[in-house]
Amino acid sequence: MRKEAGLTRIVAFKLLQAVPVILIISVLAFLLLSLLPGDPATIIAGEQASPAAIEQVRKQLGLDRSFIEQLTIWIFNLARGNFGSSLILNQTVLSAVGERLPVTLSLALLSISFTIPVGVFLGSLAAYFRRSWIDTVVMTVALLGVSLPAFWIAILGVILFSVQLGWVPSSGYAPLSQGFGPWFASIALPALILSLFQIGFLARMTRSAMLDVLGQDYIRTARAKGLGEWHTVGKHALRNALILIITATGILLSAAIGGSVIIEQVFALPGIGRMVVQAIMARDYPLVQGTMLILGFTFVMINLIVDILYTLADPRVRHD
Amino acid sequence: MNRSFARRSVTLALALVLSAPFIATNVQAQTPKKGGTLVYASVSGPGTLDPYLASSAVELEVINNLFEGLVTLDAHNATRTMLASKTTISPDFKTYSFELRKGVKFHNGQEMTSVDVKASFERYKRVSPNAKNLDAVDHFDAPDPYSFVIALKESNVVLLDIIKSPIYPLMILPASQKDKPARDIDVIGTGPYKLGEWVKDSHLVITRFDDYVADTSVAGRDGYGGRKTVYLDSVRYRFVPEATTRIAALQNGEAQLISSVPSELTAKITAQKDLAIREYFPQLGSYVIVNSQKGLTANVLIRQAIAAAINVDDIIEGAGGLNKRNPWMSFPDTPYYIGDTAPTPWYDVKDPAKAKELLRQAGYKNEKIVIETNSNYQWMRDTLLIVAEQLKAAGFNIDFKVTDWTTNAAHMQQGTGDWNLSTTAFGPDHVLGPQQWRPVLYTFPHIVGNDALDKAYAEFFAGATLEARRASWLAIQQQVLGNAYLIKIADTGRLSGYSQKLKGQNDYVGILQLWDLWLD
Repeated sequence: MRKEAGLTRIVAFKLLQAVPVILIISVLAFLLLSLLPGDPATIIAGEQASPAAIEQVRKQLGLDRSFIEQLTIWIFNLARGNFGSSLILNQTVLSAVGERLPVTLSLALLSISFTIPVGVFLGSLAAYFRRSWIDTVVMTVALLGVSLPAFWIAILGVILFSVQLGWVPSSGYAPLSQGFGPWFASIALPALILSLFQIGFLARMTRSAMLDVLGQDYIRTARAKGLGEWHTVGKHALRNALILIITATGILLSAAIGGSVIIEQVFALPGIGRMVVQAIMARDYPLVQGTMLILGFTFVMINLIVDILYTLADPRVRHD
Repeated sequence: MNRSFARRSVTLALALVLSAPFIATNVQAQTPKKGGTLVYASVSGPGTLDPYLASSAVELEVINNLFEGLVTLDAHNATRTMLASKTTISPDFKTYSFELRKGVKFHNGQEMTSVDVKASFERYKRVSPNAKNLDAVDHFDAPDPYSFVIALKESNVVLLDIIKSPIYPLMILPASQKDKPARDIDVIGTGPYKLGEWVKDSHLVITRFDDYVADTSVAGRDGYGGRKTVYLDSVRYRFVPEATTRIAALQNGEAQLISSVPSELTAKITAQKDLAIREYFPQLGSYVIVNSQKGLTANVLIRQAIAAAINVDDIIEGAGGLNKRNPWMSFPDTPYYIGDTAPTPWYDVKDPAKAKELLRQAGYKNEKIVIETNSNYQWMRDTLLIVAEQLKAAGFNIDFKVTDWTTNAAHMQQGTGDWNLSTTAFGPDHVLGPQQWRPVLYTFPHIVGNDALDKAYAEFFAGATLEARRASWLAIQQQVLGNAYLIKIADTGRLSGYSQKLKGQNDYVGILQLWDLWLD
């Protein structure tokens, strides 16, 4: 009971903390966008449009109102759960994000599901065999993973796996409603490419955490009392390194959602990242602001989950 | 602008139209086969399918297959009827009468009548950014179900050219759409395809409209009009922004047609026997835009000095892509092309000494000339980098600024920002002629107070014959190019890739036409 009450308190406290954070994010997004030069009416009206035509479009979109007026209307609507409508997509922000969120989440979660086992395994391996050739190879691969540009690797991936080997389609997204096979085929390569950076990052973090733990007295004690290496490293060392690994995983998941832009672009995935880039290019203020808000909320939720996982991985957190 | 920002950005480059034949004729001798789905990988998807607001290529290449207008461009870019069967113009050019084809069906099964036409024109006047071109309209009339009349307040000799414009196309919608707000119509047209599924940013499907009533006044297709036959069951547009991925889709058979192949990547396609490249040329004309209301470039001598320093061949070679020289603002083989009948002293002058002399006459004291370009379109950046070097060699002090296309485009269109020179390309104007150019000419270089230009335009709109209008068009170009408001660089095209399985492509280079195509 005490454990559940503690968890509830943590969740409630974190959610309350999230409210001002999300509000600040949204107002900042509004302010920053308004500082950008350029004009959505110019884009929508087209190159052939006269100044009068652009003005007509601006009026249709409500962009002729003052900045304060637009901000006030937006916050007022937000309070009523109305995120506004996109200027370029001709749909509400919520439906635009709702249509694309499954794509980005699929990409992020699948890449994380590749990343965690591989990254943790490689990092642990490098730590266990520190200063050996295995350590050198793993760390070199990890360094390559974090250094190689995702754009370049993605293009190479398309040429190799799609054109040469024909294993996966070159681009496009098949929703889960079409079946697991088509969904997995459409998302596996992008997720794998996205996970390369993450694996490199997580392997380095895991190695560092494991090196700290493997040097601790209780590991020496475990070995002295005759515990097997698998048990010592797998249970005692890895569990104690988990805090750092969970933190890194939370950061990576947030980074995967935010950093999916390039992957979505190369693989033509209709996700959030691609939409936001288009929205920024077109100065689609409501869409950028709404998406920032929803993504901000998502990141807060990820942090919340990380905090909960802390309490499960480390009883000391529960007792603090 | 390539929803365009791509769209457009993409792009906002307005891919359009043309008249010149491309390298190879692809009309196939084989018997057409019915059925199948063509997959077309394009750069990005449309933002709207409301034709009255559509100006980017990605929108128009869908809209063009779903909707039809009263008149359109034929294979030689002249006017031909489409939903009208006949047009009559009064001698004073103040009344335009249209007889409508009978039995034409909308995608919802309803027959198209003059009530729909009248409602469409009225909606166009209300929502289209191009509505100003219909300012001369006094009223529309639908005297019977198959007659439609436009009555003008004043003579307009080029009204049909305005109505047939493929940009912001005046397509006919059901009357039920009359009061729909901008960008919010039900996608119902009379075209050979109807809208199927549309997943924004992912794909769009159009399917054959089996009740399509073709124009049987000619034996076959004719530009955007003529007798259209649809063999394909459907066409799936896939939005693939990355060129390498589009090419990969063509290489592994996922797509049979792809747009916008960078010239440096064509070898990837031609290396495969079952694939080929098609040139769409000319599509656009590229220009250096000179801000005639900003600082030094308000001085005509400075502007002419800039033009005198330009070496077109260096730019064509350096900027890459598909470019050919043409000093005029109309494409060859279009009605308003002047050709060799008049001199073009403003074009490709490449005379730094002359530029220096003009600068001396202008009293130039090494003040900065600001060149603004963007990071989105490489050809624009490369063009202006070369221009900057040519100007430096002629003694100009250059400040080079790079921003994003949205900002760059807004600055050019609105005259805001701190810039003297920029660049962009224009499309349909080169086919449709002076009336289409007019808003562009006054907007981009921000021409104010040029009486000779105003007079030439007034004469153009009063010119009862094509010959008279051509003479006015020459005077207009002499003003615009001679005074270096715009500096013409070249006519440009683009490349597409296709599978040899795709048959029936014809010589007319315009916005994507998906009728009369089949898969072998």
